[in-house]
Amino acid sequence: MSALAEILFGGLFQGSLYAMMAVGLALVWTTIGVFNFSHGVFMMLGAYIAWQLVELGLPAAVAFPIAVVVMAGVGWILQASVVRPLIGRPNIVLVVVITTLAAGSLIENGALTIWGPRSKQIPALIAGNATIGGVGVSLHQIAIIVITPLILAALWMFLNRTRLGLALRAVAQNEDASHLVGLNVTALYGLAFAIAASLAGLAGIFMGGYRFMSPVMGSDPLLKALIVVVFGGISSISGPIFAAYLIGFFEAACSYYFGLYWTPALLFGVLILTLMVRPEGIFASRSRGLA
Amino acid sequence: MTDTTSLIAPGHAEAATPIAPGRTPWKQEAIGFVLGFALLALLPLIFGDTYARHILIMAFIYAIVASNWDLSLGYGGVFNFGHLALFGIGVYAYSLLTKLAEFDPWIALFASGVIATLAAILVTIPILRLKGIYIILVTFGFAQLVMQVIISQSAITGGTQGLVRIPGLYIFDHNMVRDGKFAYFYIALALLVASTLFLRVFVRSRAGASIVALRDNEEYAVSRGVSIVRQRMLTLAASAFFTGIAGAFYAAYQRNASIDVFGMSLATIILSMVLLGGTSTIYGAIVASFVLTIFAEWMADFGAWRPMITAVLIIGVMLAYPSGLVGMIKASWGAVAGRLKRPG
Repeated sequence: MSALAEILFGGLFQGSLYAMMAVGLALVWTTIGVFNFSHGVFMMLGAYIAWQLVELGLPAAVAFPIAVVVMAGVGWILQASVVRPLIGRPNIVLVVVITTLAAGSLIENGALTIWGPRSKQIPALIAGNATIGGVGVSLHQIAIIVITPLILAALWMFLNRTRLGLALRAVAQNEDASHLVGLNVTALYGLAFAIAASLAGLAGIFMGGYRFMSPVMGSDPLLKALIVVVFGGISSISGPIFAAYLIGFFEAACSYYFGLYWTPALLFGVLILTLMVRPEGIFASRSRGLA
Repeated sequence: MTDTTSLIAPGHAEAATPIAPGRTPWKQEAIGFVLGFALLALLPLIFGDTYARHILIMAFIYAIVASNWDLSLGYGGVFNFGHLALFGIGVYAYSLLTKLAEFDPWIALFASGVIATLAAILVTIPILRLKGIYIILVTFGFAQLVMQVIISQSAITGGTQGLVRIPGLYIFDHNMVRDGKFAYFYIALALLVASTLFLRVFVRSRAGASIVALRDNEEYAVSRGVSIVRQRMLTLAASAFFTGIAGAFYAAYQRNASIDVFGMSLATIILSMVLLGGTSTIYGAIVASFVLTIFAEWMADFGAWRPMITAVLIIGVMLAYPSGLVGMIKASWGAVAGRLKRPG
């Protein structure tokens, strides 16, 4: 009973964080058709901005939303500076990999210079601990498990029920036609990056609440988010979300039964098998389009 | 009206000529090749101190890795993000072969190249049917898998601690440690010459032309009888051999191995060498390796600012000249040549 509860809880918790990261990657890929390798750095920067604001004396309830909004701005600026000028170039996928990697390195080293290498921690969403089904958990983790699906549902509503969200999906499906019906495609590109960056920033704030932060804290979650989008299919939003939770459970079960060392190797084995059988991901349809 | 077009047209047509393999007559290239490397061989006479030779040795190693990556990435159009894993496999293959199996260092050096080639063939299998971004993800996953296996088998590989006291190379009774790095300098240069010669001959051959054809128009190339499976395997295997040897040499030279070779920072630097140099040239990647390595040394005083300055420069060059330094040189040469021609 306790084993099951542990796997279930661990899977839900890790899955929530992976989902927050992976959705942003998928959103950028579907709308712009590029892969953002500075996504992990967004996560780190969101956490550090939140920490700085709390340090300045703001209550967490004010500091966290401000950090998320600032991250939206950072995402927009990054898009405008290192992605937008390259749109229309033949080798854009490859060049954007290197420009986003370089931009990530710039931000990472910038954070190291400003805040230093010493580990930091931001206050938990809710302080305290609880015991559920024989497993001790912190209320912070439970809050993340509850809040994440709400945010993802809100994103889904935005993409499916609002005009702006529909416009974003239209760009993802057919860019030329979107130009023709008068959508501001450049602004929508910026919007996709802004949403992705703020989701990553929020994931960073969540993570900074239970683990020590460092300037390189984003690289491992970025890697996991990459696996998630490959596994779930990169061309939708719902695919990566399901895959994120599935991989969360898989990881929790693996580390329970086989130990922490073998989990990454098993995970990559599953990933490569998936790609050989279904290169478009297990939850994806063959067409490109959001939701 | 006709006058101006006749003036502009020749230069314009020249600029529009695609850089296809085998464009330059091979005799011209051979002369340039010999002169270029002869110049590199004379460098220790100009830079007398040991540290300068160390920097050049590192630049040679990076140049081998970057130019071989250009074969799969530039010519083949295969977004192989596991290239640094092949280098890492070379590092660890050499370390384990010499340290545990007690192989002769030179045999181990060669064997590391073979092992890296076999690993490249293995990683090609899952990507045979994939395209674009999915190749990036699988090969990236492969690199991480190799790293995780090395970390988890810490009893043999040293895990995150790495390995130390790896046997170095030897030349008869010559003292490799106390010769001011002269021997290693010339071994590294010889490896770079061999690798570059191999790459240039390969891309100028029929096989080289066929992999470029597959990159540029896959359907047409396949319809003309080019096998995508065979050529893709050939491309990755060919790019792996000298990469593995470079890894082995790196381990022999540094006398230690660590999992840092699988890290993102090294991959970013080598990838920027390939892209900064300009893809599908081989020479571009080599020149960019020298430029970036020496530039990084110049900026040693900047400390923490160094990676940030490098990042800004990479972004700047990529935005202004997407075809890299070679494109930049060509553009400025074109402007100079245009000015020289105009009066005549």
